[in-house]
Amino acid sequence: MTRRSSFCGSGAHSIDRRAFLGGAAAVGATVASDMTQLSVLAAPGANGALKKTQKRVILLWLAGGASQLETWDPKPGATTGGPFRSIQTDVPGLRISELMPKMATRMKTTCVIRGLNTKNGDHGSAAVTMMKGRRDEAALRYPDLGAVVAREMGRADSKVPDYVTFYTQTEGRSMAPGTSGFLGARYAPMELTTNNYPEFIKKLDGITDLDHLERGELRDLLGKQFGQGRSSETMSSQNEAYQRVRGIMASEKLFDVTQEPQKVRDRYGPTQFAEQVLIARRLVEAGVPFVRVGRAWWDSHGQNFETHQEMVPELDHVMATLIDDLSERGMMDDVMIVTLAEFGRTPSINASLGRDHFASAWSSTITGCGIKPGSVYGKSDPKGQTVVSEEVDAGSLFATIYSALGLDPDKNYHVGSRPIPLVNPGVHAIKAVLK
Amino acid sequence: MKAPNPDTLKSVKDFSRQAITFAIARADGSDTAYLGCSDFKVYAADFSATKFEPKELYAHESYVTGVALAGTTLVSGSYDGKLTWFDTEEGETIRTHEAHAKWIRKVIASPDGKLVASVADDMVCKVWNAATGKLVHTLKGHKEKTPNDFASMLYAVAFSADGKLLATGDKVGHVVVWDVKTGKELGTCEAPVMYTWDKQQRNHSIGGIRSLAFSPDGKSLAVGGMGKVGNIDHLEGKARVEVFDWKAGKLTAEFPGDKFVGLVNRLAWSPDGSWLVGAGGAGEGFLCFFDPAAKKTLRQEKLMMHVHDFAISAAGDLITSVGHNRITVHKLG
Repeated sequence: MTRRSSFCGSGAHSIDRRAFLGGAAAVGATVASDMTQLSVLAAPGANGALKKTQKRVILLWLAGGASQLETWDPKPGATTGGPFRSIQTDVPGLRISELMPKMATRMKTTCVIRGLNTKNGDHGSAAVTMMKGRRDEAALRYPDLGAVVAREMGRADSKVPDYVTFYTQTEGRSMAPGTSGFLGARYAPMELTTNNYPEFIKKLDGITDLDHLERGELRDLLGKQFGQGRSSETMSSQNEAYQRVRGIMASEKLFDVTQEPQKVRDRYGPTQFAEQVLIARRLVEAGVPFVRVGRAWWDSHGQNFETHQEMVPELDHVMATLIDDLSERGMMDDVMIVTLAEFGRTPSINASLGRDHFASAWSSTITGCGIKPGSVYGKSDPKGQTVVSEEVDAGSLFATIYSALGLDPDKNYHVGSRPIPLVNPGVHAIKAVLK
Repeated sequence: MKAPNPDTLKSVKDFSRQAITFAIARADGSDTAYLGCSDFKVYAADFSATKFEPKELYAHESYVTGVALAGTTLVSGSYDGKLTWFDTEEGETIRTHEAHAKWIRKVIASPDGKLVASVADDMVCKVWNAATGKLVHTLKGHKEKTPNDFASMLYAVAFSADGKLLATGDKVGHVVVWDVKTGKELGTCEAPVMYTWDKQQRNHSIGGIRSLAFSPDGKSLAVGGMGKVGNIDHLEGKARVEVFDWKAGKLTAEFPGDKFVGLVNRLAWSPDGSWLVGAGGAGEGFLCFFDPAAKKTLRQEKLMMHVHDFAISAAGDLITSVGHNRITVHKLG
């Protein structure tokens, strides 16, 4: 009786558990409505056998818009260039900002896309576009990169979540939520917004492991009885979600950065971003297909150079450490690192020594998997105001990412009878940066 | 020497400039000023010329953020970490030092013109012999990291009127007063309100001590910057000045700002110590006069530029302000 009453727990607990199931796996009505629309999706369990050795992605989301001029596309000496110099990298002819000395010695691992022209300088809608690679239609919400990778690379028998996103700062968080769109809640992210640890996956102290197991068995028994003679994608998805619960609960230690040797923690550094990226490495190593680490907030309308002086060295150090760490673990062929934001920053410098929103000529990087290391694509003019060659839009960038992960950008999902490719028709990957 | 009344302030010249001017040095009574600019160049500007056309002298490799006149020797400092000595009479560069490991923020000369001090983001203040270029002191009293493990910055430096004291101020609001002769630390003051760390919303910081000025008797030290900021995407904190009895480390007056937002980038006392003038800005700028003894704001004048620096005459009757795309001259009295 005591054990039974502990199952009920608090109202807060029941809400948290439901929230978890919604985010990490699938839950009732939401899934039902999504999954019935998405007719091509068999029950995810049935797709598991089709999935191969999977690639994984760590997205470093530079929320608010990091300046391309203070990172990947410096213009020293131009009136728009700001005070920082450029430094030579280990790729002949490629120079980046002096704020990134560590990445300068690792650019042989990385591809720089310098020709982004995404035409949208509004935080909210630009963030959605750059998370999805295209704009939603009035009646169709596309899945974001994380959801697609979770769908394509996640394993049905996985004991870890498919899509995890860290976004601890409050600014801009609501503008760039992880979203699975028409893929449904099964591929929605597990969102960590208050700290680095998803406390709701912890088994309550008031319930024993045996009790939890027995309840699972009871639920399975009832489910099987209910399922006799019935066939439903929703029911299969629901069953799979519950089957994954214990595995995901067991993954709680993946989020515990203290499980890493101190020397590894020291190597990444003490900042929150550094710890989250280290956890991201732990997650992808354990098989999580997609982790986004949101690093807010780069929106430097005032004091752009001070802001970048503070934040770019952190990005430089953490990104370089992550590349080294993944390389030493032999994971660079299977893990992709992407740096991306909703846009970049204006070449012009305002009276507050700030830079404003700018989407006409900015930069992103891709490292690992099928990306040609040490490559550069796109060129901006001497003042950084326009792309003069090899222009790239959001769709092409995403097609390139998908291709480098071994996914066919033209692969179709079906919503009802309508085929929906991973990128819009006519959009192609940048072959020049693919291996 | 009785100081002119701030009520008499009037703009007498105003020039537009393509570049941002970060620093100015102008000898007392001279029509010529030296400018450090965002186009990496150092200029000589003749304010008596019928057509205002600053003449390029030489260039650094980044923003020129400090210029100081030690007699006829000009010393400039830049984000390139270099200090350059220039003979203004001969029109020749004398020497260039790789002075700092990081970006130089300010360069000043002692009142007697014998020393030059530079501060940079390597968090070191260096004192140089103005004539020989020889390093006299390396003053280390500021932490390289903020409490949040990001690189700190050392923005401000000032000599006392007798040249015996030097003050330095950093990003987190820490001020150190030094004995110029020995290079020893004499005292510290704290102005933490000048530093805003936003952990919850944006996870970075803004602010810092941007200006310092000793009172003519050397007993008080004025500190300029910006008050706490809500949205650190913008320079929206109130322009702020605090005055310390630096020996006691005690705040004696504060001017939290009620009209203008932005950074107070430059401070100076009137020759009789009766008022203090601060200049700075955000999208626009200001010149503000304070009475530290009465703890009263005397005058607040809007300027059409974010002011980065000014030169003030010994009598306090001429202020030449430089900043974002403009240069303005004001007279008092």
